[in-house]
Amino acid sequence: MINIKRYLIIFTVLVTIMSCSKDFLDVDPQGQLTEIQALSDPNAAEKLVGGVYNTLYFGEFGNTTVGFLYALANDIASDDADKGSTPSDYPDAAQLDNFTLTAGNGIFNNLWNGHYTAIARANRSIDILEQSTFEESVKNRLLGEVRFLRGLYYFNLVRFFGGVPKVIRVPDPAEGNSDEFQTRATAEEIYQVVLEDLQFAVDNLPLKGATPVGRATKGAAQSYLAKVYLYRKDFQKAYDLSRDVINSGQYSLVPDYALIFRENPVNGAGGNNNSESVFEVQTGINVGETAVSKLYSNGQGPRGRGGWNDLGFGFNSPSQDLANAYEADDTRKNATIIFITPTLPANSPGTVLWDGYRIPSKDSVENDRYNYKAYHSPLLESPQLTNNKDTKPKNIRLMRYAEVLLINAEAAANLGLGDATTNLNLVRSRANLPASVGTIDNIWKERRVELAMEHDRFFDLVRQGRASTVLGPKGFVAGRNEVFPIPQSQIDLSGNRLTQNPGY
Amino acid sequence: MKRLSTFITSVVLLLTLSVHVLFAQETITVSGKVTDAATKESLIGVTVVVKGTTQGVTTNVDGLYSIKAPANATITFSYLGYTTKDVPVNGATTLNVQLESSSEVLEQVVVVGYGTQRKKDVTGSVSQVKGEDIAREPVLAATQAIQGKVAGVQIISSGAPNSAPTVRVRGTGTMLAGANPLYVVDGVITDDIRNINSSDIVSMDILKDASATAIYGMRAANGVLLITTKKGKSGEMVIEYNGTVGAKQATHLVNMAGPNQYAGYINEANVFYGTGEELITPEQLAAGGNTDWYDDILKTGFQQNHNISFSGGGEKTTYFFSAGYLSDEGIINTNNFERLTLRSNNEYHINDWLKISGLASYSRFDVREVNLDAFNLSYRAAPYVPSKVGDLYGNTSLSNNVGNPLLNLEKNDDRGTGNKVQGTFALDANPLPWLTLRSSLGVDLDFYKNPIYGYRFANTGPDNVFLTEGGNQLRTNSSYSLKDNTTNRWVWDNTATFNRTSGDHNISFLVGVTAESYTFNSLTGTRLDVPENRDQWYLAAGSPIGATNDNTGDKATRNSYISRLNYSFASRYLLTATFRADGTSRFPSENRWGYFPSVGLGWNIIEEDFMKDQNTFTALKIRASYGQVGNDQIPTSTYFPIAAINLPYFFDGSEYLGISFNQLPDENVQWETTKEFDFGLEFGFINNQLTGTVDYYDKKTEDALINIVIPGILGDTDNLFTTNASDFSNKGVEVGLNWISDLGNGIKYSIGVNGAYNKNEITGLNGGQALFDGSVGTQGFVTKSDNGQPIGSFFVLQSDGIFQTAEEIAASAQKTAKPGDLRYKDLSGPAGTPDGVIDALDRDFSGSYQPKYTYGVNGTFNYKLFDFSVSSYGTAGGKVYNAKKAARADTRDNLETEIAKNRWTPNNPQTDVPRANLAPLPASTYFLEKGDFFRINNLTLGYTLPASFLTKYKISKLRAFVTAQNLATITPYSGFTPEIISTSPLNGGIEAGIYPTTRTYAFGVNIGF
Repeated sequence: MINIKRYLIIFTVLVTIMSCSKDFLDVDPQGQLTEIQALSDPNAAEKLVGGVYNTLYFGEFGNTTVGFLYALANDIASDDADKGSTPSDYPDAAQLDNFTLTAGNGIFNNLWNGHYTAIARANRSIDILEQSTFEESVKNRLLGEVRFLRGLYYFNLVRFFGGVPKVIRVPDPAEGNSDEFQTRATAEEIYQVVLEDLQFAVDNLPLKGATPVGRATKGAAQSYLAKVYLYRKDFQKAYDLSRDVINSGQYSLVPDYALIFRENPVNGAGGNNNSESVFEVQTGINVGETAVSKLYSNGQGPRGRGGWNDLGFGFNSPSQDLANAYEADDTRKNATIIFITPTLPANSPGTVLWDGYRIPSKDSVENDRYNYKAYHSPLLESPQLTNNKDTKPKNIRLMRYAEVLLINAEAAANLGLGDATTNLNLVRSRANLPASVGTIDNIWKERRVELAMEHDRFFDLVRQGRASTVLGPKGFVAGRNEVFPIPQSQIDLSGNRLTQNPGY
Repeated sequence: MKRLSTFITSVVLLLTLSVHVLFAQETITVSGKVTDAATKESLIGVTVVVKGTTQGVTTNVDGLYSIKAPANATITFSYLGYTTKDVPVNGATTLNVQLESSSEVLEQVVVVGYGTQRKKDVTGSVSQVKGEDIAREPVLAATQAIQGKVAGVQIISSGAPNSAPTVRVRGTGTMLAGANPLYVVDGVITDDIRNINSSDIVSMDILKDASATAIYGMRAANGVLLITTKKGKSGEMVIEYNGTVGAKQATHLVNMAGPNQYAGYINEANVFYGTGEELITPEQLAAGGNTDWYDDILKTGFQQNHNISFSGGGEKTTYFFSAGYLSDEGIINTNNFERLTLRSNNEYHINDWLKISGLASYSRFDVREVNLDAFNLSYRAAPYVPSKVGDLYGNTSLSNNVGNPLLNLEKNDDRGTGNKVQGTFALDANPLPWLTLRSSLGVDLDFYKNPIYGYRFANTGPDNVFLTEGGNQLRTNSSYSLKDNTTNRWVWDNTATFNRTSGDHNISFLVGVTAESYTFNSLTGTRLDVPENRDQWYLAAGSPIGATNDNTGDKATRNSYISRLNYSFASRYLLTATFRADGTSRFPSENRWGYFPSVGLGWNIIEEDFMKDQNTFTALKIRASYGQVGNDQIPTSTYFPIAAINLPYFFDGSEYLGISFNQLPDENVQWETTKEFDFGLEFGFINNQLTGTVDYYDKKTEDALINIVIPGILGDTDNLFTTNASDFSNKGVEVGLNWISDLGNGIKYSIGVNGAYNKNEITGLNGGQALFDGSVGTQGFVTKSDNGQPIGSFFVLQSDGIFQTAEEIAASAQKTAKPGDLRYKDLSGPAGTPDGVIDALDRDFSGSYQPKYTYGVNGTFNYKLFDFSVSSYGTAGGKVYNAKKAARADTRDNLETEIAKNRWTPNNPQTDVPRANLAPLPASTYFLEKGDFFRINNLTLGYTLPASFLTKYKISKLRAFVTAQNLATITPYSGFTPEIISTSPLNGGIEAGIYPTTRTYAFGVNIGF
């Protein structure tokens, strides 16, 4: 019996050894930072703000904020651009061109998801910032930056869809499915969010120069807030805010319009973050090529039909109508549109771009016109690291001083103030055009050519109340197409609590 | 082979029988002859052991043995296929013994997990395949060789060298989590058995029902495959050599249109139905070649397999050494695979109650992989473009925007080298006759290196590699990437088994505890501009610009307690009850522990008194079992809220790295639970010439993990939420029948038939949210998994013939169609009724890839020294989506000859192939085909040279054979193969980029010394 005891003891010891180590089963994820670990970093709140800026890169054919699909949605739906590319390519974009939009259109699902993902990051970041122990001024500046971006994103959503779910805090997991978040707020309620967020930003952000380039500034917040007031026809506020920007003395027009969209300045003028830039997406070269708005440049780049290494997919082709909209001698026309030369006469030199890059004539090129403002020179501007053309580091100009001048002019015209003509002519004279009178019609006409292919035209036409007149020939139906369809998949996921926009 | 199996049987007996404490006794030498009780033929290789000791010998070629034993000892004679006999010595020096041939099935010993059991006593559903039946087939993975041999086990194999076949035991057992069964090699838990040399396998035991698998608890829901490797046996050294040399080629290829057929179709489509111009000009055709792209990328591959083993042992030790080399060139250019395996299985009996064993194997493989996209590119590439002339390639990207498949193969060099060390080191102690203690440590170390080099090539200028410059296929910088993975797994089992026999009562009770750890580390780097010279294929030789490095890892642990009670009364009434408690790091601490019980009951009716007088049955058993098992195969960090880090943004021109919390995890995630009921009948007739098994099972999986799509407003990065939110069931019947007959005059034959029916059905999806998967080109998702349907059901438009006239079109829902177009059924609309529009709402369920029936037929026929065997496998009731045909990416893509030839034209209206059309067609049943097939997996004809001839050369055995693997496949499916390995059960059966089935002819020899 001694034997049994001995072996049973050994066995018991083994069992004990193997079961007593309670920690044995506590294994944290390897090589991944858990939220708890991340929040133990005193700079976590600031890093979360960085994560919100990162959402400005959301693009390609996926979740998007201000990237490629945003550009398509605005320009193709307007009279500025046709779908481009080959006729059969990307039917979702073709729906924009002739207003045969369906609720299943993936572009809007991606815009919806992209914006809400960005908003969720902003909400989380605000939540952590408010608990942080930063000095009050730092905390408010960071809060201002995040709320500026959230305001911008809700401004996009309300213009795309009208009222949308109002999510301005982090829901508990159990709350995610509640009516509060799964039903649409009114457009008015969303505009209130936009106004509050942007006003907070105006009140707390530093002026340009007092904060690193790329971070949201007081001027950017004022400009956007002025624009929102223009949409709300509160011309006095739009006027005051844009005047503040003008009077700040921080901004000036780049003398040569074409240089606005280059990467590098020429003789100190133009380039990224030029004197005219109020807010722009800051791209850069990093190893993973992740600091870019993917496909923004080559998605709109000239598309070949074989025989040469083309520049892109050829979407968002500027329309003949846009080309016709320029007055003679307007320097902006050839800075906005790449015109492809006809096949004949034979041996055409094709189109030679500003950097010397030659695009062959029409027989080797899919479309007649391309967006010059999205062009990123493969010869003279920062190359992407790899062969992947999708990752061209093209900064997207979201708000320019020229637009601030035109906002101010429009507000002034509505208020009967003389600044309307002054500001309009500042913009015109830079484009080598004679002076004109600051009527609302003239200002609207100027907005089109000044901001063409900068993805604002559709929203502008709806705001101005002339979308059905201007876009009727493309298939626009009044009472329906002022907003786009709520994505069907989101309606389904809400259990039909999200209502569809009329007519879809 | 037989002798080895015998040895295993004896080892098992040694381990399970009580050890008698021996007192000092007079030792005498006992000798004699062992013969077959019926035929009186002498039996060679019978294991003769002094009961209660490890002293053993085997009978020689004349059936003679001689052994030293105490005068009062008992000697055990055991031989596979015969009833084991215990004979008391009682002082006799001569013992001639006759062994009774027994039913092989019922005396069979099966491995059941942490032990073995007589098949007769098993109350669950367990099937065994013998090593010799696995080794016969010239394939890499042992699982491929069991295809068609076990009822209810579906094996989906691939022709690719180094591929791991998909194994499904009793239907699809999961939706999102790992769907592979658990592999246990000599007690080591692993997920891949491609390192195991089939020649080293004694048997593979497949545990099918939950009562059998419950002992493996949380890992067992997909079934358990137990592999036992060979060991040596006491006696002289046995040397065996087995080798095959053969060639393999692709079968069942798809015929593509030639240049004229191609141009005819494309131009007809564009001239009559498109823009009007001829897309393929006569000049293009005249200037071009006539390329059969498949011909140009495929080859006949050479395959060889050599194995040598040395085994034997003394009184206290046994050894088994083996070495194996296998090479397989595959059937596509640049493909190649080689594997070396070494094994050393040794056992040391320290004394009569203590044994140490060490089973260790090393394997190494070198593979050059091919990108399977080459098959798709070959399907698409225009046939008038030459593939390669001299050193220059045809420029297919100019013809129809597709890469040249041959260039793709030749300009990429993707190699893998794997080194794996696997072993079990165990201590077995029998301190008392009724107690066995075992401590075993299993290790599995895997080292994998994957260097990929992409050659630089240009499409213009001095480095141009094309016949015509231009296009978009180019690589401006060479690239080199290296992946280095290390996996380390160990499992430590400690078990105690108590055996008590008292009268008719036999009780065995096992308790144990196991601990398991898994760690994984992956290091990757990429560099551009690494020189072409192979000696410089190192990361350091590349450019720092664009360099990337990454290092990730994984770790999981498990701690479990196991117990099993076996009770039998007079071998008549059987009870098995198991219970396993599993604790795992994969789940949050509050639901970390899972408890998995099972119970099985058996009744050996044949042992009843009332059966004594009948002669009809020689075996009859019914059994019933119920058990619960789990599946925890989800990524280890699923339940952790993880921060996304290194999110860049540029401030002041320099990169700032932010973070975000954008992934919503289910912090309450847990394992999937499968509850299974099994009812089985085992029988034998006519002196066990006919034996069989019938099983009915009902398997319910609850809390299956799925990714549910969540509303965008929650801001989850991918809008997916992994949670336990689905239930489904598999129900089915399995039948296996075996007939063995000896007609005398040296003629013996056997026929085995097995078949299974399985019905898979989703019973409860989260809030009814169906899961879409299987994206095909512009057609979108083609599968939908929803309540009441099998997992991964195809969900497409219902094609309904071809429009012939304008009147038909006017009366249809497709007003813009043209004669010759496919007609689709208008099934529904936004209001739930037909709406006169054909859109996604008109899609309907159309079957799934999962076969309803799987079956196999296997036979052997021996005539004197000739042996012949055949094995086959088939499935029925599954569907395959021909995605390569469905996903036309470019209007100028090539098409199949069948389509070009049989297309609808006004002159050929009686056809089921629609008109020439360059536009992509919507997903419909037109692309869905029957996936049924029947294949002769293996056919072998062998001849064994007569022993009289061989003894002169001291050769004990010499057999030569020819074998054909995948000799013929009969299938209505028009694509490469209906056997499709998919990434997930949700998208099974979508054929795109599949390695074709291969046929191998080989010649081989078996030599024994």
